Amino acid sequence: MSRWTLFLIVMLVGLGLGLVYGWVINPVSYQDTTLPDLRIDYKTDYTLMVAEVYHQENDLDWALNRLTLLGDPNPLTSVENALKFASQAEYTLPDMFLLRDLHNAIKETN
Amino acid sequence: MDQNRGNWYLLTGLIFGLIMGIVYAWAIAPVREVDTHPNLLRDDYKDIYRELISRAYQANNNLPRAKARLELLGDEDPALALAAQAQRYLAESGDNEMAKVLANLSAALQQAAITAETPPPPASPEGEEQPTGETTRAAASPTSSDPAVSSTPASETTAANPAPSPTNSLPFILQDSSPICDPTLGEPLIQIIATDAEGKGVPGVKLEISLGADPKEVFFTGLKPELGLGYADYLAEPGLTYQLEVPESGLLISDIEVPTCQTEEEDSYWGSWEIYITHPN
Repeated sequence: MSRWTLFLIVMLVGLGLGLVYGWVINPVSYQDTTLPDLRIDYKTDYTLMVAEVYHQENDLDWALNRLTLLGDPNPLTSVENALKFASQAEYTLPDMFLLRDLHNAIKETN
Repeated sequence: MDQNRGNWYLLTGLIFGLIMGIVYAWAIAPVREVDTHPNLLRDDYKDIYRELISRAYQANNNLPRAKARLELLGDEDPALALAAQAQRYLAESGDNEMAKVLANLSAALQQAAITAETPPPPASPEGEEQPTGETTRAAASPTSSDPAVSSTPASETTAANPAPSPTNSLPFILQDSSPICDPTLGEPLIQIIATDAEGKGVPGVKLEISLGADPKEVFFTGLKPELGLGYADYLAEPGLTYQLEVPESGLLISDIEVPTCQTEEEDSYWGSWEIYITHPN
């Protein structure tokens, strides 16, 4: 085997080891995440907070503005995801009603 | 000679490959985490989260739930973080409404902490009122993986008896307004201390300061909890005459001007002005 071939093989081995180190052993420490990166239960609680405020203030534009920050295709998707998770996690009825009211209000505008 | 060079070129290749791999994994295509926790949010998103928690608290007055949500952000002192954010909003964007909402939750948390430290009075013969079973105060996110929001305390007295809002109580009256010479302050301040009839500091009191006809600047007590719940201050410009208003009480204090003072060594410096307002007995 020529020296260049050996060099290439060893370099590829080094590349593989570097990737394993950088992705698995010591990946980039993740700080400064965004709202779309949140776990579904935190997103659901976020959506519930929007629903709580909407219930009191009836400001749908504000609610839509806050929901878009979750990064879903549209705010209705965010609320539907929240309703689905809340149902599975057995949220209380009042909380479910708040989410449902928000869902219905957004659906009416679509 | 070739034999003496040996296999060092292989080591070079290995190191080169290693460096390329690490650069790619760290800089070009780093691992992207999903399903993260709120304490990893970028600072501006944490601000949005705190805003939302404060507004939700304003809507439902559920302090334990607000507290549990704030704990997710990992702030060392959630009340202080809220107060600091309120101050930033006042200073940077002039968003008075949002600053007040943040300040109110900060104040409520501080009041609750003081109430928790104060031993309760002996129970009256008729017993204390128990909160009604409002199910909205149940778990915000009852997932077993996050006990911080999995349940709210069984005794909901803090939610049933929220911290008193200054807007619902008696108006403030002026107790004292005078110049002070205190070289330790370091800068000319207009200091306001708002207390209730029992002498306890009252946070969340809206204050407006202006130079007569000029636009008013708004700030609140309680945004510097380390100096007292009822404390607020304003950096004054020497030589100017201010007037301070407590709009919710209709109280107007005029002719506020920081004095010139002298140290013991007869060096001049700018003093401050102290204003005490309180609820009448």
